[in-house]
Amino acid sequence: MPLEDGDLFMNKWLVPLVLLVAPALVMAGGEPSNGDGVPTEMAEGRQIYEQYCASCHGWQGEGAADWNKPDEKGEMPPPPHDETGHTWRHSDAMLFRMIAEGWRHPFNETDQLTMPAFKDNLTDEDIRSVIEYLKTFWAGDQRRYQQSESHSRDRHPS
Amino acid sequence: MKAICYRLNSALTGFFLLAFAVVMPALVQAQTANDGQPVKALTTNSSGALLVLRESGLFVLDGKTATEIPLPPSDSVPRPNSLATGADGSLYLSGPGLGIWRYEYASERWQSLSHTLPDLGITAIAAHATQPDTLYAYLGEGGMFRSRDAGAEWMKVDSGPREPVEAFLHSDMPGSMESGWLFAGTTRGVARSMDCFCFWGDAGDLRGTVTVIGYDPSAPENVYAVIEGQLHHSSDGGETWAGIETPQAVTALTFSPTEGLLVGTENGNLLSRHASGGWGPVHE
Ligand code: HEC
Repeated sequence: MPLEDGDLFMNKWLVPLVLLVAPALVMAGGEPSNGDGVPTEMAEGRQIYEQYCASCHGWQGEGAADWNKPDEKGEMPPPPHDETGHTWRHSDAMLFRMIAEGWRHPFNETDQLTMPAFKDNLTDEDIRSVIEYLKTFWAGDQRRYQQSESHSRDRHPS
Repeated sequence: MKAICYRLNSALTGFFLLAFAVVMPALVQAQTANDGQPVKALTTNSSGALLVLRESGLFVLDGKTATEIPLPPSDSVPRPNSLATGADGSLYLSGPGLGIWRYEYASERWQSLSHTLPDLGITAIAAHATQPDTLYAYLGEGGMFRSRDAGAEWMKVDSGPREPVEAFLHSDMPGSMESGWLFAGTTRGVARSMDCFCFWGDAGDLRGTVTVIGYDPSAPENVYAVIEGQLHHSSDGGETWAGIETPQAVTALTFSPTEGLLVGTENGNLLSRHASGGWGPVHE
């Protein structure tokens, strides 16, 4: 299948590229990963993000190109986690559920869980710290919105 | 033989005449509110009564009687154009220059819900299908607002789809990450988002200015939209659409627990859809 070949090609090149670029990024990263009052949870969150999420959602949470419409398979591509995306619209509980259980847009044309479930690879603690890291991509008013969504969910469970 | 036929014939005619005589006044009464102008909005309250917004006013149609509900007071010329029924059966009314109002059936009074909105330029409203205190409003340039306390406090949640919104709907169709879906009729077609406001996308490729949108609460994948008077139906949550023939151009629609799909037309008529697919006057 040509699509799978493409994926293989991507992976073959992505891994060395990541190995090459990651240390540079870590060094160049503005925020120190520990000390200076930055909680170690954030450093852990970042490490988990870069290991498990960045390949699809982008190193800076920028998402896939053309993320806002279905791709040629009829699947929604990985959306950005930064202020241009909609991750900040979800409460902590919902983010946790999507990362643990996985998620696919109900109108995707395939049944594949395009956002993989991470509950077998990440502990609850890991998931919580990667969620905290996602919040560093958001603008201040988005963080406030998301905080109130997280609280109002206690009052409006669905 | 001939005589029997004749007698049967005249008996039948007599029966129909009688039936007509009984039904006719009811029909006249039910349609008295018809001002010959397009029906502006329709909704159904929790007891199954139909609420009809006309150029000439707002009417409750309960069985065969039509009662007028006086419209809320307004400084400017009010242009009510949108009705919604909340999950608890509350009636909401809105329009440009009018803001948003809730009707108290018991006290027969309107209560203004616009105090924390930036202006009264409400284009469309929607009520959450299952949470009685959650309401949505579209203010044109102002964007989309949500209240979670029955209209006391409004918060801007989103700027809405790219194109301006003419009609708004919340539905409890399954599959959402949160508690349901929002459908917006825009100048480009139908836009759809989960009710987390996490991304407005196209619902199918129906194109045109959608002025009316509704769904079947007993089968929520069934969504209806009107473009230039033409009714369209989707049975898959807005992915694909097909036209439905109607005798007159449609200007409003709702679902009644007893009669199913009801439409209001440009001539002011109220029609319900028979199981056979044909249309007949409401309460016939
Ligand atoms: C194989 C690619 C892939 C990987 C790896 C991946 N995701 Fe996703 N993710 C997706 C896709 C695709 C979607 C969109 C699913 C949809 O809406 O159909 C998504 C959606 C999400 C969403 C929902 C965003 C929203 O607003 O709807 C969150 C949150 C998320 N991912 C977090 C993560 C985290 C955290 C990780 C790492 C632990 C991760 N993802 C790893 C592909 C991936």
